[in-house]
Amino acid sequence: MNETELSSHEWWESYKETVNNDPEMDVRGHDKFSENFYIEIGDERVLVEMNGGEIAELVPNPTMNHQWSFGVEGDREAWEAFVQETPPAFNHEIIASHYRTAVRGEEGHLQLTGDNKKIFQHLRAFQRTLDLMRVAHNNGGN
Amino acid sequence: MEGTDMPTSYQPGDVEPIDGSYVHIDVEGVSHRVYYEENGPDDGIPLLCQHTAGNNCQQWRHLLTDEEITENFRVIAHDLPYHGKSVPPTTQEWWTDDYTMTAKKFTDTLVSLADALELEDPIYMGSSMGGNITLELADWYPDRFQALIGLECGAHSPGFYIDWLDHPEVNTTEVNAYACWGLMAPQSPEQSRRETMYLYEQGATGVFKGDLYYYSVDHDYRDKLDQVNADECPLYIANGEYDYLTTPEDGRQTAKGIGEGATAIELAQIGHFPMSEHPELFNAYIRELLADITGDRDEALPDVLEPDDVGIELHPPGPAREKPAD
Repeated sequence: MNETELSSHEWWESYKETVNNDPEMDVRGHDKFSENFYIEIGDERVLVEMNGGEIAELVPNPTMNHQWSFGVEGDREAWEAFVQETPPAFNHEIIASHYRTAVRGEEGHLQLTGDNKKIFQHLRAFQRTLDLMRVAHNNGGN
Repeated sequence: MEGTDMPTSYQPGDVEPIDGSYVHIDVEGVSHRVYYEENGPDDGIPLLCQHTAGNNCQQWRHLLTDEEITENFRVIAHDLPYHGKSVPPTTQEWWTDDYTMTAKKFTDTLVSLADALELEDPIYMGSSMGGNITLELADWYPDRFQALIGLECGAHSPGFYIDWLDHPEVNTTEVNAYACWGLMAPQSPEQSRRETMYLYEQGATGVFKGDLYYYSVDHDYRDKLDQVNADECPLYIANGEYDYLTTPEDGRQTAKGIGEGATAIELAQIGHFPMSEHPELFNAYIRELLADITGDRDEALPDVLEPDDVGIELHPPGPAREKPAD
């Protein structure tokens, strides 16, 4: 387990490196993923600016001067579950977690916001980018 | 990896004992050419296996080669019309309609197939849409099957009839697969999960979404579970721990609503595509249910089946360890 706390500066830097070195982000058109999205952990929001399947910039507390297409929101406990090496059922993947929130009306899961069309146009690349939070959190799988 | 039926155990020149055939059946007055694969003795207990929405019979390939199960069971797995190697009907201008599955069409297909293959007292088993349909089968055709196994089955499974799954500005080949990525348990081997996604990527345009019309819209037994005749045809509802569409708790509530003849079992540490996402664990789990059906099991099935209960040790690569172990 990584000693670095989720969402610390060091954590985000490690995450950026993990995404930008991931071989799946280079194939199947995932290198066309250039939609910005935000990750909101509790009340901390970080904008992930994507360019060609890589994270170009991480922007804490984005403002009206920034642009994004979609985002994911959840309380810290839901994200802590999401990044566990073996995450618990229903907080183990973004569509799963969003479904329990949006369709079943449950608390304690993640929720997608923003442009659904763009989410589905880049679904796998976006989903992979989020799954790489788990890889980064667990020392890159090493 | 343990077990003799898993891919790592094959050598060059090995030929798997699966036979493939085409049978012609009528569904709602239309003739269809249906592909199916089988393995097991001619006089074995027929076990008819239904793939999930938008997929095909290859999901069952490891059950079809399970030496222990195919010693006693004639395992049959088919492709529904428009899926896999079952081409659309040659008498219809099917390209002028959006493919749409309904409960009536689905049950007609399964019963026509069982009749065409002259299956005597078959056991039916299906997952997801194939699990949900066990309720209609027990409602409308309780005499046709010896028992029904509904994997990932619920009275209602809303919310997955999604327009983006058939949209010209979306890469539906990949999206129809990876919309289902999280339906599988992170404990399942990555090779098997990726193969399940690969099978999803083989579906024709609009077919996955059309199946989901049945799954999320047409199928709704919330107010009519009393019509499900599990007292005449035993019904097993087995839902995986990681199935977020029809949870183990949904399975328990559905079985409770049906009453006599319905049994709910939670399958631990597995998800919505158990037979293809983790074949070794699934085959071990399903042996327990089959033994209960055939009367070869003394004790009642537990509320939860765990890997330890069936002698399976989960493999070390976790979801965070997706890199090759080089």
